[in-house]
Amino acid sequence: MSQPGTRKWRCRNCGYILDEALGIPDEGIAPGTAFEDIPDDWYCPDCGSEKQDFELLED
Amino acid sequence: MALPQELAQAIVDPKSYSVREVVDEAFRKIRATAPLAKAELEGMDPFWVVSRHADIKEIERQPDFFHNGDKSTFLSDRENEAKVKALTGGEPNLIRSLVSLDGKEHKDLRGIVFPHVTPRAIKPLEDAIRGIAREFVDHMLSFNGECDFASDVAFLYPLRVIMTVLGVPQEDEAFMLKLTQELFNNADPELNRARAELTPEEALKSLWETTMELENYFKAVTEKFRANPTDHINSLIANAKIDGEYLNHRQMMGYYIIAATAGHDTTSNTTAGAMWALAERPHLLAEMKADPSKINAFVEESIRWEAPVKHFMRSAVADCEIAGEQIKAGDWLMLSYQSGNRDESVWADPFEFRIDRESNPQVAFGYGVHVCLGQHLARMEMRILWEELFKRLESVEMNGKGERTISNFVCGPKHVPIKFTAN
Repeated sequence: MSQPGTRKWRCRNCGYILDEALGIPDEGIAPGTAFEDIPDDWYCPDCGSEKQDFELLED
Repeated sequence: MALPQELAQAIVDPKSYSVREVVDEAFRKIRATAPLAKAELEGMDPFWVVSRHADIKEIERQPDFFHNGDKSTFLSDRENEAKVKALTGGEPNLIRSLVSLDGKEHKDLRGIVFPHVTPRAIKPLEDAIRGIAREFVDHMLSFNGECDFASDVAFLYPLRVIMTVLGVPQEDEAFMLKLTQELFNNADPELNRARAELTPEEALKSLWETTMELENYFKAVTEKFRANPTDHINSLIANAKIDGEYLNHRQMMGYYIIAATAGHDTTSNTTAGAMWALAERPHLLAEMKADPSKINAFVEESIRWEAPVKHFMRSAVADCEIAGEQIKAGDWLMLSYQSGNRDESVWADPFEFRIDRESNPQVAFGYGVHVCLGQHLARMEMRILWEELFKRLESVEMNGKGERTISNFVCGPKHVPIKFTAN
């Protein structure tokens, strides 16, 4: 299983992939940020779904 | 692989969609025998029919490879597309709205409204929407046990909600409903502008007149909200700037029009379809009254069941392979959300309305960057309406034959006659 900071998470609602290794610099999320460390009020940049609607993609 | 002519005809003909079973059966055969095949019909450019859930999602997740706006975003024949280009100065769509845009323009325009319609942003609207829902439940109960749920409730409640959010006065709601129905139901003589069967030429003329009437209305909206900005969605559109400039005329009009039409018609169709399903299944009302925690499952199944946007088109930008088929640059593809939502590989009993599904990954709102902008508001307003309705409704059954709109694009039930008792 991948280490925090290198995992990928998918929005169940729209399929957006959050790649921890890349982060989302435009939104202030630095590369390597673990999903758990992203603020709770962050939402999917494509559809607005909340963190709880993301699922971990297994290797 | 070529799609058999009779199946291609069935899924293009607006009349097919007025009988749900006809289209469901055509797509069932397509999924079983030719799930990604090319339809070749006289007068139309050939197009791939994308019928499976997984293939729809795969295409929608690649917006850089499958564009919305290179060709018509919905089914159209060659003659119609040529006339649209003549009317718009070369664009393939009569209205330049979010559903027909790609790349940076799409991202920039979507970003104007998107932060205001996330689940967190719309939560403060809950009480106001509940007030509207109670008003329409009272309105329904005032019919003394019999009404046409489509025209008496389902068309009106989402209209009031979205017009409130947009900043459109209540006295303009009837006008907006009429023009929305003209825009989406052009093939239906009961609802189109001319109230008649139309030739393709008359149909386009009628659509153009409706579009111009909407544009005339919204010109005044821009002036009003630039003079006095508010936090309404129409004010955001009127005052938004991209790279320091206001939206151009077609961008602004397209935005107003899609918000004011698709923003309620889709929810109306879904709500009407849910009541139709409920009225034919007495056990469902009993289950919902016994366990209100099933409300989200009921709403999600309603959306899967009705899939009010029947299709959108995409155009391939480069050669690629999808599900083993070779797609060429420039190829046109029809994404059928109704078919995707009946995919037997995803749902058990896809032709049954069930609220006990463990998961319900319906694609009625689309998927990827073009996923419906108003989906969270739509879910919330439907949940609230049904919460209020289930509290009051004791029994409901059909009171005659329901009727569906004649349309292959955005459509659903237009008449849902019901008999009901309430507490």
